[in-house]
Amino acid sequence: MYVPQEFISMYLPAIYAGLIVGFIGTMAIAINRRELHILILTDIVGLAMIFVVSAVGTDLAEALILPGLVVELAETLAISEILITREMRKIEQDPRANLTKSSSIFPQAFSLNMEIMTTAPNFIALVLIGYGIFLTGFTGGAVAGGGIVLYALSKKARGLPVLMLDGIAGVSGIAWCLWIIGFLLFFVTPQYWLLSLFLAACGLLLKVASKVGLIGLLMREDIDNE
Amino acid sequence: MDFVTLGGNLLGTIQLGDIVLYLTPFSLFLFAVLLGFTVLIGLSKPETQVEATMHYLNNTEVKVGQKELKQRRFLAVICGIASAGAMITGDLFNFTLFMALVGILNIGIVSAVKQTSVLNSAFNYGLIAMMCSLPLFGGAAIILAATGTLSLAVLSQMPASPMVVFGAVMMLIGILGESGVAPFFASKAEMFRTAGSPYIVIIVIIHLSSLFIIVRAVEILLLVLW
Repeated sequence: MYVPQEFISMYLPAIYAGLIVGFIGTMAIAINRRELHILILTDIVGLAMIFVVSAVGTDLAEALILPGLVVELAETLAISEILITREMRKIEQDPRANLTKSSSIFPQAFSLNMEIMTTAPNFIALVLIGYGIFLTGFTGGAVAGGGIVLYALSKKARGLPVLMLDGIAGVSGIAWCLWIIGFLLFFVTPQYWLLSLFLAACGLLLKVASKVGLIGLLMREDIDNE
Repeated sequence: MDFVTLGGNLLGTIQLGDIVLYLTPFSLFLFAVLLGFTVLIGLSKPETQVEATMHYLNNTEVKVGQKELKQRRFLAVICGIASAGAMITGDLFNFTLFMALVGILNIGIVSAVKQTSVLNSAFNYGLIAMMCSLPLFGGAAIILAATGTLSLAVLSQMPASPMVVFGAVMMLIGILGESGVAPFFASKAEMFRTAGSPYIVIIVIIHLSSLFIIVRAVEILLLVLW
């Protein structure tokens, strides 16, 4: 009735595609012997799962894709964590195993003194944040967060102390409130839809930006610990 | 098949929008038993294990640190709650989500142990669980596409079409892999040979959750198919 016939006829090919991709992925896992490769290949099977779920193509299916993605991510994280723990135990038991050949990006000491190295990152970060605010919403948040990460990393790389807001979690909480208020207004007073749309969009922007920024900060602290 | 035939008298339903929880003696019994075990896990004291040495008398006591114990107990309690949720849910996709959650938590419980053999087994089990998320979620999505609903109360009244049978078989494969029973048990068998920890209870939740979920999965598949 409401859905064009072409979309309905896409359902079966999409399911077949998902199953075939999953089959190829499992075959590759069966052939491969390296554990890291197997871990990456299982992700392909997980993506095939997203294929099959999203082939349904209704609002309900969209509600199923998100938990599916989250489960997929959580499992990948858990398994890779296990792999890391196991390798660490192996190295503890036999420290010589640690002495494998590894290469750095810069094999020799590397120093450059150019003005562009100090000014450009700040400028690019500023542009990214500005562009992110202009975009609003999820994409804008990701772009602005990328800008924050770039700023923190470039300062860190030069060995300067990074002055970051400690209240970044607070910003995230406020953004959450904005988002909720926006949604509430949508349902209570639909005539103010533009206001609630902007509230939700700005809330999402702040939320995602602070999240991405936090990831950058955490990464920095991890590097410090090492 | 009607759920009154499978689970005894219908004691009542809880309407949460289009998600309808139905209470039968069968599901209530499983739910109560799992909650009881969860309470036991929360209260039980850790056991210590003794590692014997061949030909000598230097037996060593293996204990688990306070921090690791807390983390393990927390994950085991969450695992118990998740499997209790899978017992009472009246929605096909919620069941698959609880199932996936149990799978992740099973990996999490043993993720911090020190034996490499246990970690190896957890890694293998994790890979199987991740690959089986394709048939698990895919099967649920195919049933959704074929019938247009995920509510078990509605699904039990519908005659099964070939597509529904296909989806149900895929779901069965997914559940078998995700809970690590029969054909996939080899990947999981080494997982509970870990030292220390409240051995009896916490490791048993890995067993118990998969056992209960299989029982419930048989009920759900019968509901969907007949």
